Amino acid sequence: MTTPIIGYAGMTHLGLNSAVAAADRGFELICYDPDPLLVSALDRGELPVIEPDLPELLQKNARHIKFTVDANALTACDLVYVAPDLSTDDTGRSDLERIDALIRQVEAVLRPETVMVILSQVPPGFTRARMRPGRLLHYQVETLIFGRAMERARFPERFIVGCADPGQPLPAALAHFLGSFGCPILPMRYESAELAKISINMCLVAAVSTANTLAELCEKIGADWSEIVPALKLDKRIGQYAYLAPGLGIAGGNLERDLATVCIFADRYGTDAGVVRAWIANSRYRRDWALRTLYPEILSKLEDPVIAVLGLAYKQDTHSIKNSPSIALLEHLKQFRVRVFDPVVSAAVVPNSRCYGAISELDACDGADALVVMTPWSQFGRIDPTDIAMRLRGKVVLDPYVVLGAVACHNAGLSYFTLGAQA
Amino acid sequence: MNIQQINLSRKLERVVLIGASGFIGATIQRQLSVQGVPTLGLTSSDVDLAGAGAVAQLATLLKPTDSVVMLAALTPDKGRDVNTLMKNLAMMQNVCAAIEKTGCKHFVYFSSDAVYDPSVSHVSEDTPASPADLYGAMHYTREIMARSRINIPVLVLRPTIVYGADDTHNSYGPNRFRRMAKKDGRITLFGEGEEIRDHIHVDDVAALTVNCLLHGRTGILNIATGISRSFREVAELVAKQFGSSIEVIATPRTNPITHRHYEVSKLIKAFPNFCFIALAEGVISTHRQTTGESV
Repeated sequence: MTTPIIGYAGMTHLGLNSAVAAADRGFELICYDPDPLLVSALDRGELPVIEPDLPELLQKNARHIKFTVDANALTACDLVYVAPDLSTDDTGRSDLERIDALIRQVEAVLRPETVMVILSQVPPGFTRARMRPGRLLHYQVETLIFGRAMERARFPERFIVGCADPGQPLPAALAHFLGSFGCPILPMRYESAELAKISINMCLVAAVSTANTLAELCEKIGADWSEIVPALKLDKRIGQYAYLAPGLGIAGGNLERDLATVCIFADRYGTDAGVVRAWIANSRYRRDWALRTLYPEILSKLEDPVIAVLGLAYKQDTHSIKNSPSIALLEHLKQFRVRVFDPVVSAAVVPNSRCYGAISELDACDGADALVVMTPWSQFGRIDPTDIAMRLRGKVVLDPYVVLGAVACHNAGLSYFTLGAQA
Repeated sequence: MNIQQINLSRKLERVVLIGASGFIGATIQRQLSVQGVPTLGLTSSDVDLAGAGAVAQLATLLKPTDSVVMLAALTPDKGRDVNTLMKNLAMMQNVCAAIEKTGCKHFVYFSSDAVYDPSVSHVSEDTPASPADLYGAMHYTREIMARSRINIPVLVLRPTIVYGADDTHNSYGPNRFRRMAKKDGRITLFGEGEEIRDHIHVDDVAALTVNCLLHGRTGILNIATGISRSFREVAELVAKQFGSSIEVIATPRTNPITHRHYEVSKLIKAFPNFCFIALAEGVISTHRQTTGESV
């Protein structure tokens, strides 16, 4: 067939990154979003999200991408992805109204032979419930990772495609488009694909929860988790890419969504989700690591202490603060003076009235009794701990993600606390 | 359940302590008085809580603007049987009925860590209550009775092992160890004293309670330090206060070893600058108080 024209509906994180990756593959793109402000901003090259390589790749492929607020423009497409980001509530439940509204808008304008693919993460059963007579409908698992979205979209490991009947060949436009990425394509029934995405995330959560549980034990018994990790990664059953870095609980919203979905389905169908609930509890517990560490060292000891916090985003290379451990920590430091710095996120999001938004990392450290590195931005790793020691009033440094390094901090005379090793 | 804070429109008008003559109640009353908070301490000689006239009598004493702290209970040393359970529940039934009549601004119920399954080693407020005996079942039932007063903000406090000079109970732990050392010249442990527990000084229990009253806290809060020590460590600390003559003796173990650690994040979040009395410091001050030395 001739090269298909690809459409994307929903120009937030998932849709935008996926569309730019498709354009970079050489396809012509029509990108629809009903928000005129967002579309105008995109036309001017202003991005609503922070992702490495995204600005450059958008600029490079700009002539292949048409942003529009007119859904009728999608009529020209052979394949349309419906890909809005779905917000979640405090319990991890997705708001599905937005994608349903978008599906209705897209369905109304597509030609009968155009393939519609749901790319947003939806609960099992969602896609089959949206099947309509005469509509070519598929579901495709998204594997977006905040901070690595372009890399993941451009070089996927595989495509997992949900089908009404996996025994039937994929529609030509979809097969052509996916085939251009040169990776395995795994067709399966809708429900399997929807659950595959959740399964991937549950495996990741299991690995992270295991790492967190054992890292805490390391902190108590004098073991060092960083020494154990290489041994695990050389075990073929675990593997070199396993998520074994301890952290401050699960954040960002996507994994929490899947944990909630499994619990909801388990409750509905009477299956056992005890281990999933344990992961959720473990995540909440680990989120408070910094507070629990600061408490005996600083909060209960000093009169009106000052705490420096580096990093507000839930992880590096993203602007997202969804379930951010840093924001959670700051919520509980409201009565204290805090000095914060994040390369991307404004200090205006900090819920503390006694907050100073620093202009640099070392500015945040000035006169503070303790420094807490809550997001592992790579630029924080370039700070010399000796400079930190000179700017701090106290000596306590909490570096859960080992951005600054134990040896360098000890050499600078700092009291160093991290995940997975004794202080 | 998360601990939350209600909006207290004005400072504490009066705190009524039901069970004010007890070890904890008396300490809370002392601390409130130091802070200038008016108190009414009720003891069993003022009101027989299990008696027929308890509701009417309490209702004449309580005011809708009171903060009420319920500490009265027949402890296990007074009985572990069904009769004791039913008496304890009757006491609570009467307290609830009186409050139903008068209303109150804030109700604090002093429960116990006995509501948790003794085999659970890591406990937080999210740990499901699963009492193993009638004493634990009594406290858990009383918690539910308290919370059933839907129009009154309720705080449930679940303290761990409390120690201090004025403790009249003889539960296994610092208080009993001190008495053993003084009377027998030795401290006898169960097994090697390997079990790990969280021990909190009564002054900390009272200070946290006063803080909860002042801030109008509601929900459930474990009252523990977050630091657990073995009974042997505690026994040796106590023994040290008496000089070198006190022997700490192990006995053959008859029960399996259980440990108890508290995850105190909720308490830290509620009172992030609260400073606990360290166990060693608390044992020393308790010893000095009981021997009449200046603290």
